[in-house]
Amino acid sequence: MRINPVYKREVTVSSRSARIPVIMMVFNSILALVAFLNMYSVTAQVKVTAEIQYSSFLDLYMFVASLEFVMLLFIMPALTSGSISGERERQTLELLLSTKATPWEIVTGKLMSSMNSMVLLVVSSFPVMALVFVYGGITIKDMGLLMLMYGTVALFSASLGICFSSICRRSTMATAMSYGVLTFLIAGTFVINYFVASMASMGAAGYANQMEGITSQVNSGVCLYLLLLNPAVSFYQIMSGQAGSREASVSVTQWFGSRSPNMVLDAWLPVSIGLQLLLAVLFLLIAVRAVDPTGGRRSRHEPKTRGTHASGKE
Amino acid sequence: MLKIEKLKKAYGKYHALDGLDMTIEKGALYGFVGPNGAGKTTTIKILAGLLNPDSGTIRIDGVDAGRDRRGLKGKIGYVPDSFGVYDNLKVREYMEFFASCYGIEGLMARKRCGALLEQVGLENRADFYVDGLSRGMQQRLCLARALIHDPALLVMDEPSSGLDPKTRLEFKELVQELNEEGKTILISSHVLSELAAMCTDIGIIDQGRMVLCGSMKEIMERVDQSNPLLITVYSNMETAMAVLRSHSCVRTISIKENCLSVGFTGDAHDEALLLQQLVDADVLVNGFSRMQGNLESLFMQITDREDKEVLLYENKPGL
Repeated sequence: MRINPVYKREVTVSSRSARIPVIMMVFNSILALVAFLNMYSVTAQVKVTAEIQYSSFLDLYMFVASLEFVMLLFIMPALTSGSISGERERQTLELLLSTKATPWEIVTGKLMSSMNSMVLLVVSSFPVMALVFVYGGITIKDMGLLMLMYGTVALFSASLGICFSSICRRSTMATAMSYGVLTFLIAGTFVINYFVASMASMGAAGYANQMEGITSQVNSGVCLYLLLLNPAVSFYQIMSGQAGSREASVSVTQWFGSRSPNMVLDAWLPVSIGLQLLLAVLFLLIAVRAVDPTGGRRSRHEPKTRGTHASGKE
Repeated sequence: MLKIEKLKKAYGKYHALDGLDMTIEKGALYGFVGPNGAGKTTTIKILAGLLNPDSGTIRIDGVDAGRDRRGLKGKIGYVPDSFGVYDNLKVREYMEFFASCYGIEGLMARKRCGALLEQVGLENRADFYVDGLSRGMQQRLCLARALIHDPALLVMDEPSSGLDPKTRLEFKELVQELNEEGKTILISSHVLSELAAMCTDIGIIDQGRMVLCGSMKEIMERVDQSNPLLITVYSNMETAMAVLRSHSCVRTISIKENCLSVGFTGDAHDEALLLQQLVDADVLVNGFSRMQGNLESLFMQITDREDKEVLLYENKPGL
C-alpha cells in the first residue's frame, strides 16, 4: 500500500523534533501528579476514617478525561494552523503542487500527522486512566464513547487549523483565526444562548406582572442548536452521563429554558457528534480548495478555446 | 515537444498573457526572456500546473495540458526562482520524498536519487541536512529534484538569481551538460549574455505576446540587420539630414548630440553608397558603422518603449 508521501515526510520531520516529546512529558507529568495526589488523599483518608471513597477514582477519571479533552481541543489547532501556511512561507508549497501530489493528499497528509500526535498523547495517558479500573465504575463502552469524543474533537480542531492554514498566507494569522473561531464555538455559542435567554426572560418578566407563570416558558429559541457545534457541550454530556447525573442529556437541552422534546433534543449527543464530524469534513474540503492553485478547475477553458480558435481562423 | 497556442491569462483587468504562441523543439535549450511583467513567470507557472490559463492550448510531448493536468505534471520538471527547504530533512530524504510524490518508491527511488545526486555533484552530501547546504548546492539539489521523474521538459525560472559568479558558471555548465544528454530545457533569465552563450533557441516575450523567436543563429543574424547605422557627423549636419531623408532605405533618424542613429533597411552595398552620397554632399563624416549586435541590444530595441533619443524623422510606407 502506498503511504501518503506528505504524511511520511511529516512523521520523519516531527520524529526529529522535540515538540511532541516535550508536550507528552508535560502532559503526562501533570496527569501523574494529579493521580499521585488523588491516591495520596484516598489513602490518607483511609488512615483517618477507615473508609475508602470510591468516588475519588471517578473524580480522577473525570479530571484526567477533561484535561485530555482540553489539551486536544487547544493543541490540535496549534499543530495544524502552521501546516500549509508554513509550507507557503518556506516556499515549498509551490514545489509540492508542481508534483503529482494532489491537494487532497497534501491536506490529508498534514491531518494524519497531527492525528498521529493526538493518538500518541491519548495512548501515553492510558496508564493514568487505567487507575480508574482498579476499583471499577467505568465500563469499556464508556471508554469507547470517550475515545470517540476525543477522535471527534481532534479531527474537528485539527481540520479547523488546517482550513485557516490553507486560507491565510501567514501562520500567525492562521493561528489567530483558528483560535478565534474555536473560542467562538466553545464560549461564543454559550454566551449567545445566555444573552438570548436573558433577553427573553427580561421581556417575559415584564409581561409576567400581567400573566403569571409565563416566565417558565421562555428559552433561547433556535440559538440552542448552536450548541450542537460546541465540542465542549458534547464532552460535558458524555462525562455527566458516565460519572455524573444520568439526567445530564435532559439538563443540557434545558440549560437555557425549558422546551418540549423533539428528535434533535432526544438524540442530542449523536447529532452533535455527527454535525461536528460533518463540519470537520467541510473544513477539509475548504482547505483542499484553497490549496489547489487552479481552484479545482479542470480544463473548463478547453471547449471555449477551440471555439475561439475556430472563429479566429474564419 | 512543447506547443503553446493563443495562451491567455488575465489578473483582473491586467492581461499577463495576451495570446502567447510558442514552440520548443525536442532537445532544445530555449532561452525565455522578457522585461519584468512581460508574462514569463505566468507562462512558466501555467506550464508547471500552478495556474490555470483563461484560454489557449498547451501540448507537451503529446499530452494536452488542458485535459490531463496530472499527465502534464509528469512531463514537466519545475525549478522555481525561490528555493524552499524543509527543516530536519536530509538531502537523500528530500529527494526520496519528491520521488514518492511522483509515485517512485523503494529501490527504484533510491537508485534514481543516488544517480541524480551524483550528476549534480552532491553524492557526498546525501546525509547532510538540506537547510545546511549553501545556496549553490541547494540550487543544484533543486535541479536534481526537478529531474527525479525524468521529465520531458525541464522548466527553470531565473535559476541563477542569487548565485555568485562561480556558482552561476557551474550551474550553467550543469544545464548545458543536461542539454547535451538530450534533455529539453526552457530557461528564463535576465542574464542575457549567459543565455546567448548557452541557448540553442530563444523567445522574447513582451506584454504577454511573443515578439521574437527562433534559433539563436537566426536571431543573431536578424540582430545585425535590424541594428541601426550609427553615423557621426563632424560638420554639415543639415545637409546630412537632407541626404538621409531623401534615401529610400532610410526608415527612421534619431539624433543624440552629433551622432545619428539611422534605421536602415539596405544591405552592405547600400550602406557604402549612402556613405559616398554623404561625402559627395560635403558632409564630414568621422564615424559610420552598424551598431554591434548582441542579445542585450536586441532586447532593448524590442522592449524599450521609452525613446531616450530625439526621433527626428520617420518614413512611414504608404503615407
